[in-house]
Amino acid sequence: MKTLRYLRAFTRLGAVVCLLLVSCKRADSPASADKSGPKVSDSRRVAVVVSTLNNPWFVVLAETARDRAKELGYDATIFDSQNDPAKESAHFDNIISSGYRAVLFNCTDAKGSIANVRRAKAAGVPVFCMDREIEANDAAISQILSDNYSGCVALGQYFVEQVGETGKYAELLGIVADTNTWNRSKGFHSVVDRFPGLKMVAQQSAEFDRSKALEVMESILQANPDLDAVFCGNDAMAMGAYQALLAAGKASKVKVFGFDGADDVVKAVAEGKITATVMQFPKVMARTAAENADKYIKGVREFPQRVPVAVELVTRTNVSKFGDYGRKQ
Amino acid sequence: MRRGAGVACVVLLVALLWFFPLFRVVPLNSTHGTTVTGAATTTFDPAAVAARLWSTELPTAAQRAADAATVAADIRANPEVARKKHGGSAGLGTAYYFVRGTGKVVSLDRNYLRLRLAGSSDTLVALRVGPVFGNVVRDGCGLLDVNKVPGLQEYNALAAELNALVEKNVQPHLRQAGVGASVTFAGCSEAPETAAAPGEPILNIVPVLAEIQQ
Repeated sequence: MKTLRYLRAFTRLGAVVCLLLVSCKRADSPASADKSGPKVSDSRRVAVVVSTLNNPWFVVLAETARDRAKELGYDATIFDSQNDPAKESAHFDNIISSGYRAVLFNCTDAKGSIANVRRAKAAGVPVFCMDREIEANDAAISQILSDNYSGCVALGQYFVEQVGETGKYAELLGIVADTNTWNRSKGFHSVVDRFPGLKMVAQQSAEFDRSKALEVMESILQANPDLDAVFCGNDAMAMGAYQALLAAGKASKVKVFGFDGADDVVKAVAEGKITATVMQFPKVMARTAAENADKYIKGVREFPQRVPVAVELVTRTNVSKFGDYGRKQ
Repeated sequence: MRRGAGVACVVLLVALLWFFPLFRVVPLNSTHGTTVTGAATTTFDPAAVAARLWSTELPTAAQRAADAATVAADIRANPEVARKKHGGSAGLGTAYYFVRGTGKVVSLDRNYLRLRLAGSSDTLVALRVGPVFGNVVRDGCGLLDVNKVPGLQEYNALAAELNALVEKNVQPHLRQAGVGASVTFAGCSEAPETAAAPGEPILNIVPVLAEIQQ
């Protein structure tokens, strides 16, 4: 009788172990998906997943990608992740289950977003990154990325020219999980840190957000009323910082430097409100990503993993050459 | 009988877990390393990569660099055509020249040594002797590929290391050159959109090699 009980217990244990093994295999093994081969959809749908639509620069990026995909004959849909990795992950679930042919992707997190790209890849949905890098070389098909570092090297040199070799400045960082934030900051500091007379008195993240930049700048100004300049990791933050300076009556004394080439900031550079920005080319990146996706769907498989896209310094001297998120034709 | 069944259960369970473990321990770099492009799967050391490039590949590549006087003449004729003929770029990036030449020092300031190129009465180039910033050497020498390093941050670190080597190995020597000295150089320059005005240097070059005959 007791032997029978042991055998039953052993059978149950074995069943539990088998279940665990099967579930582990399914959850963590992309190879299991590869064996049956990824399902290739015959739909003409392309997804554009963008980190946020709360910033005009990203609206231009997403809409250009969508429009170029449409020109190439696809039904393109924009998914707004609202800077929330959880929302981005849900978008990928939806995209994978809905049979999209490709994803044109602007990520929320250089590391955290890798899993989404890998899931899409395992399901046979190629991903093409735009503007923001994911820190993996074997997940996305290609990554079209602004050369943020050299843009901020040029900006840093202009900063020293304009501010001088002595002075106090603050830095507003973007999202700390985004490699663009650090490529920009490191490019800027590779120049400015060579001038010991230039003291950074505050460095805080305002998450690439205009209203957060306004708040952060207000508090920085309270602690450092004698500031000479502020370097902002994007143009939305530059406009927020400028608003704070305007409210404090310091807009004419403190020089503001941005990055992106957003239309409102290009106009502000022309008016002398913002000292300089760096023009990225969101339309070039978005179009290239959409065209690469089209080539991939048509059978091309050889793509460079990373393609840096040049950026250009915009100052009052050359601002007339720029507008509409690029160079004037 | 009862003990025998218990032992059999344990042996079976151990055998099952041995062949089908519930989890495996793997080193982190096996999942974070890059595999597609053959980039490093272990820690990337930009200083070591830059040092190797500097001592082995760069001197050989410098011998094949374009003649500075020819590039200058082509820029004067048509900067766009010159860029297509002699320039190179990483991705959709800025175009750069890798040039070599000889010239006489006409002036020296805090940041630049100006040379009049040999065989020319009016073609000036400027060699950087002040702090070196940016990607000019990294992208201009044409020896590095962004897809051979783990990511953009590492690629940028490589640029900084190469700049440091220029400042350490080339510039101190160059700053000793007096007006009238002859300098043979190789270096990298951003491709200008327009030709410089007469009397201005047509190329601003970051030197990677320089020899001075006083």
